[in-house]
Amino acid sequence: MKQDGVADILAMAFMFVLLILGAVLMHAYSLRPLRAATDRQLELKCGHIYKALETAWVEPYTVSFLRAAAENIVLEHPTVPGPYLRSAMENALGYLSPPDYEISATLTQDGGILIFNENVRPPSKQFVRSGTVSITGAGGENVVVQVEVMLFSFS
Amino acid sequence: MTLTQILKMLVACILVITFILVTASAYRQHRTISALAELTDATSSIVTQLAVDELAHVDETGNKYSYVLDPDRLDNLTFKREVGGENFEFQVSLGYQGSENLTFGPAPPENKTNCSLVVACSLWLNDRFQLAKFGVIAWYA
Repeated sequence: MKQDGVADILAMAFMFVLLILGAVLMHAYSLRPLRAATDRQLELKCGHIYKALETAWVEPYTVSFLRAAAENIVLEHPTVPGPYLRSAMENALGYLSPPDYEISATLTQDGGILIFNENVRPPSKQFVRSGTVSITGAGGENVVVQVEVMLFSFS
Repeated sequence: MTLTQILKMLVACILVITFILVTASAYRQHRTISALAELTDATSSIVTQLAVDELAHVDETGNKYSYVLDPDRLDNLTFKREVGGENFEFQVSLGYQGSENLTFGPAPPENKTNCSLVVACSLWLNDRFQLAKFGVIAWYA
């Protein structure tokens, strides 16, 4: 009789533990759609940052940030001088960056590389938007520069 | 019926009630989370629709510049949208470096959950493409 009593209590305790575990899992799993929607928003933000840098002009020039950066890799005499562009670009990335996030932009072409805002901490998540910018080189040839804009999350 | 049997019955009842409560709570949370996720996606959809089409700058030759906003087009904007069969209302904010944020549209009601999304964009202003931030706060109508 005593052994039966202990077995029943153990079975019930086990059922309670299962119930609590199930509840924790159900609640944790139910947050996934919201996390996915938030990630989609961050992906969208990253795309918008790329497009903004592609279209907005560097003050006071009439050339966009990404084009000016690409010219700095390809051309000997770019429209926007290197030190001025770095300062303007980092200022722009700081302005566009949401709180608790950092933005970095990398341009590469045949071994030439230009990174803006490279000293970022290891992120918990990152979103990347890549594309290209075409520049007419000094000899009239078309040079394609690869661009990568990254949005780092630290929360 | 012995005392042990009564206790076992009591524990079993508590177990069943707890199970029902946990299931009901999980279902309610699932519905809340689904509604929030839907609101988040609707906000993203509204932002994309506005930035790519409705507020996009159109030059003299009729070329449309997606992701470049024309503040003059905000005057004719309606601040209601149907997304995925649900009706949403929204408020728009626009600001560029060195300026204060300007808001357009109705203020979000205090008793309703809202979702806010701010994205980068370009602004066609004073014959220049300027860096700007474009924000949308949306809520269920």
